Amino acid sequence: MTAANPTVEARPLSGRSWRRWTQRHGWTVGIWILLVVLVVWYSTLIPRFGGFQFSTIINGGTAWIFLAAAQAVVVIAGGLDLGVGGLLVLTSATAAQFMDGQPFAISIVLAVVILIGAAILNGFVGWIVTVSRVPDIVVTLGSLFIYQGLALMMLPKVGGGSSDGFRWLFTGSATGIGTNPWPAIVMITVPIAVAARWMGRTPSGLSLYAVGSDETAAFLSGVNAARVKIVSYAVGGAFVAMAGFSTLAIAGVGNATTEGSSLTLNSVAAIVLGGVLFTGGVGSLIAVVPAALILFFFNPILSALGVNPNQAQVIQGILIVFVMMVASLIEWRRRRRS
Amino acid sequence: MTTSQQPLLSTAGIAKSYGPVIALTSVDLSVAPGEIHALLGANGAGKSTLVKILASVFDADVGSVTINGAAVNLKGPGEATEAGIATVFQDPALIPDLSLDQNLTISGLRHSDVVPWLERMQLADLDFGLLVRDIPLASLRLVDLARALAHDPQLLMLDEITAALTPEQADRVFDVMREWKSMNRSVLFISHRLGEVLRICDVATILRNGRDVAHLDLSGIDEAELVTAMLGEELARGSKAGSPDAAPSRQTLSDKDRGVVLAAKDLHFRGRINGVSFELRRGEILGVTALEGQGQNELFALLSGDHRPTSGEIEINGERLSAYSPYKAIRKGLVLVPGSRHDALLPQRSIRENLATPLYNRIGRWFSLVADESERVDGAVARLNIDTRAASQVRRLSGGNQQKVTIGRWLVSDFEVLLCFDPTRGIDIQTKAQIYELLKELARDGAAVLMYSSELREIPLVCDRVLVMYDGSIVHEQSAATATEEILLTAAHGLESAPA
Amino acid sequence: MNEISSTAPPEEATDEPLSIKLSIARQLSDRPQIVLIAVLVALIVVTAIIEPNYLSLAGLRNSAFFAVPIGVLAAGQTILMLTAGIDLSIAMIATASAYIAANQSPNGAAIAIILGLLFGIVAGTANGIGVGIFRVNPLIMTLATSGILLGLFTGWATTIFAGSTRMHDFIITLGRGTFLDGNVPWSVVVWIGVSIFVLLLLRRTGYGRNLYALGDNPIAARLSGTRAWQVLVVAYAISGLLGAVAGLLMGGRIGAADLQLAGFLLLPSVAAAVIGGTSIFGGVGTYTGTILGALILGVLQSLLTFLGAGQAVQQVLYGTIVVGLSWMYSRLAAAS
Repeated sequence: MTAANPTVEARPLSGRSWRRWTQRHGWTVGIWILLVVLVVWYSTLIPRFGGFQFSTIINGGTAWIFLAAAQAVVVIAGGLDLGVGGLLVLTSATAAQFMDGQPFAISIVLAVVILIGAAILNGFVGWIVTVSRVPDIVVTLGSLFIYQGLALMMLPKVGGGSSDGFRWLFTGSATGIGTNPWPAIVMITVPIAVAARWMGRTPSGLSLYAVGSDETAAFLSGVNAARVKIVSYAVGGAFVAMAGFSTLAIAGVGNATTEGSSLTLNSVAAIVLGGVLFTGGVGSLIAVVPAALILFFFNPILSALGVNPNQAQVIQGILIVFVMMVASLIEWRRRRRS
Repeated sequence: MTTSQQPLLSTAGIAKSYGPVIALTSVDLSVAPGEIHALLGANGAGKSTLVKILASVFDADVGSVTINGAAVNLKGPGEATEAGIATVFQDPALIPDLSLDQNLTISGLRHSDVVPWLERMQLADLDFGLLVRDIPLASLRLVDLARALAHDPQLLMLDEITAALTPEQADRVFDVMREWKSMNRSVLFISHRLGEVLRICDVATILRNGRDVAHLDLSGIDEAELVTAMLGEELARGSKAGSPDAAPSRQTLSDKDRGVVLAAKDLHFRGRINGVSFELRRGEILGVTALEGQGQNELFALLSGDHRPTSGEIEINGERLSAYSPYKAIRKGLVLVPGSRHDALLPQRSIRENLATPLYNRIGRWFSLVADESERVDGAVARLNIDTRAASQVRRLSGGNQQKVTIGRWLVSDFEVLLCFDPTRGIDIQTKAQIYELLKELARDGAAVLMYSSELREIPLVCDRVLVMYDGSIVHEQSAATATEEILLTAAHGLESAPA
Repeated sequence: MNEISSTAPPEEATDEPLSIKLSIARQLSDRPQIVLIAVLVALIVVTAIIEPNYLSLAGLRNSAFFAVPIGVLAAGQTILMLTAGIDLSIAMIATASAYIAANQSPNGAAIAIILGLLFGIVAGTANGIGVGIFRVNPLIMTLATSGILLGLFTGWATTIFAGSTRMHDFIITLGRGTFLDGNVPWSVVVWIGVSIFVLLLLRRTGYGRNLYALGDNPIAARLSGTRAWQVLVVAYAISGLLGAVAGLLMGGRIGAADLQLAGFLLLPSVAAAVIGGTSIFGGVGTYTGTILGALILGVLQSLLTFLGAGQAVQQVLYGTIVVGLSWMYSRLAAAS
């Protein structure tokens, strides 16, 4: 079953390799199809489905996608980062604090600085994980607390802001609400595609899978496992910064009182649905994107159905448990076989 | 490049220990250009450790490595490859969750770099999009070899590469080795199959107990001479003579008490065990020996309930074992001392908790502690003479004391058949003697013991009878008293057994 | 960095007298309580210097009020962390149990309490079945359970439970009542009861032995006959029960069930267990340590209140303490 691996060289598909292709990429394709089906279904449920509804979904889903991508990168390399939610709050609060009243050009410079800062900060967390040999879950639980506290120090009250151009970049509108989904689509597609290609095709990117899959074999193949883990946390940090920017762009103001832990839990749920295995080494960013969108999309759909958001949450939870049970059993059988 | 006098690679005084376990004491090895060099020795002689040091997986504690006359200090397998040493390790070094193509990318290779080599091994049609975990082991070994060759190394190290291969595949590997030799490059070859070593190799270095004990020119030597060289002169003679107190415990039980307690009937397991049958009687110590990977691990996993046999039956006291789980096997009195202490100990718990664990398997025992737990534990500690100075966490005990704890666990609870997998591996001689004595005592008291040992010498010391496994089957059975190392080693290599 | 070295057998050190440094490391590694008590005392002293009135029963009482629910929830986390698990649903189970108890309060305290606790056991058992039998990652399983419960009870809060969220007076007394001139909260007595139960469970029962064995080395536990799924189902059920106890105490403190009742205690409950020296990898830890961890968090809360430090400082301190102490434990374990 499970998840899709990074793509391999395209080749003419014989019957057998077709079966293999579906085995390998079936999860990714299935999730994308599910997303499309849900969108189409949704469009029939509500009286009007146009650019506004579409861009609302894309814009709102951007932060979920980046946060899930961050978690996916770390988990694929054999780690776990509970701190992503806190880092999102910290980056958006920091951006709100410094971008307020600045022109577009300055806000972009600030965004780059914050993005690099988030990568370094989270890379440092990864360094602590590898050096201290304290379990990743404990270290990142600590970083979750610290990020959240730093965010409150940075922006004690809801406030701050960003430039109109910055908001347009992530929402297609200077007010955060509009009918133009394309800027958000580009902002999602470009970094995710670059990262997916890096992870699937280059030695340094594939090293993430190698370390997550079998650290000893990776070492014997000449991979520096500690460095790879630190890189995974740093790349995760950069993705989180993108999620933070998107959050700021939609809201227009920063809010450091947002509960980071629930954001983290969303990211974990999204990668599970996206077919990333907790044991590391398996999964694809390409499948995590629709999974995150589906999770975000759940509430609008069910509310369109007249189901209240609470029942939506119940259905979502049951879905996750079901997916995990099936995935765990299949994985268990596969390991027993080999 | 090199002159013909200068060795391609040489080591001086290489030593390595893991904590208290000494793997290599002092090894001098010299590989000349254009030779196929065999590295031989019994299990645990230090072959794989030496290979890993040469490949820079570990650093040696002491000693130097010289390549083409220059001392080197390599950091990690990557640098070793760059320095011209490529290795096919005993454990596959391919990432299971990635495709072959992706594995090559990680090593900085292209598909086209390995294709010529795979064609030579008739694997050209191998699909490089397949995940490594879905590829048969034999193919993976060959891919590993092709990857090593693609680095165009001066020295190619092959650790047990032929163990998983068919004879035809092995022949192709030999062809490649010969070609490598014709290019004036070298191969360091490790194998348990002495026949192929004699066929393909020019010279051999023999390791015993972490030392290089012999350097042989292999032309004109036959297998018997090679076995003698591996055993060492004095041992080859000494093992035949035996010492008086080496005789196994003579039976004190009457015939009536010596009924069959454990019977294996035509056991099969996923092609790794092919029809194993034997009977074990009360009061008997039955030895099993084999080279590594001949199905002994799987046999003990089946008997202890850890795996279900593909077919065949296990009977305890004439009763068929129906459900396979360690819990069920233990309830029936079939208990295991695992080969690795990592699989037996609770490293961070106390000696007491380690010893008492099996007492609490049944839910009925969950609600309190067993009243006589202390007496039982203290009894086992006293009987085994366990050093309790570091009793709060067993990870702090010496290897010997840890091994005693793994055995003592079953003295605290009750059992009928003790399955011991290499119970004396890597521990000191004194503790070994204590464990031999304990096993004999247990047998005298009516227990049945099935003991796998990789140390041929201890078979006649402890056992009544011995089985030799090769390729998933029992190929040889005899009384342990007359089992010389030579006979056992010959049988273990799957060779015709010499007239005993 | 060399991960291969981790396969090396443990060092041998028993045959020679221990160096002083090593024996100190071992003492501290075996008994992290020594460090924790020192930290706790230091915190109390610092707090007393800043606010002299703190060193009274009334002053300490406020710390206790904060520490009790954390301590009870952290008991569940401790039990699960010993098996290398975790319960992210425990705070939601607490909230949900409080709703059940409030809803049943008109039927009398006994029924309210019993049904509230029963709910906790059922929810915990569901977690246990997922983790123990279906081998779902504990993080995911309990996270999903939490989501399901949150959804259900958010919906029910405005329907089934609308107008029936007031707690029975007896539960309110347990939650915020005091005795001995208002100096000793009843909730502390409940916590003492929970503590005795958990301490005995971990130290004096065969079940406790299974728990530690399973967490320390699942393979060794299996080979010596432990049946993991049974141990795990019971462990998660107990965690659910403890969540329900904490939920009733919190509900009693507030006087009514509320969706925000216990959620903010989830991370502190994990932190208390981690601070107390319980390893998230399983096999190591004591409830004594966790109790001290909960007390440290309680005193820290009072200290920060007196200092007028906000949420922000508190969060950063929490995080630093969790990472710092864990790092120290891992260094001590490696050094011993």
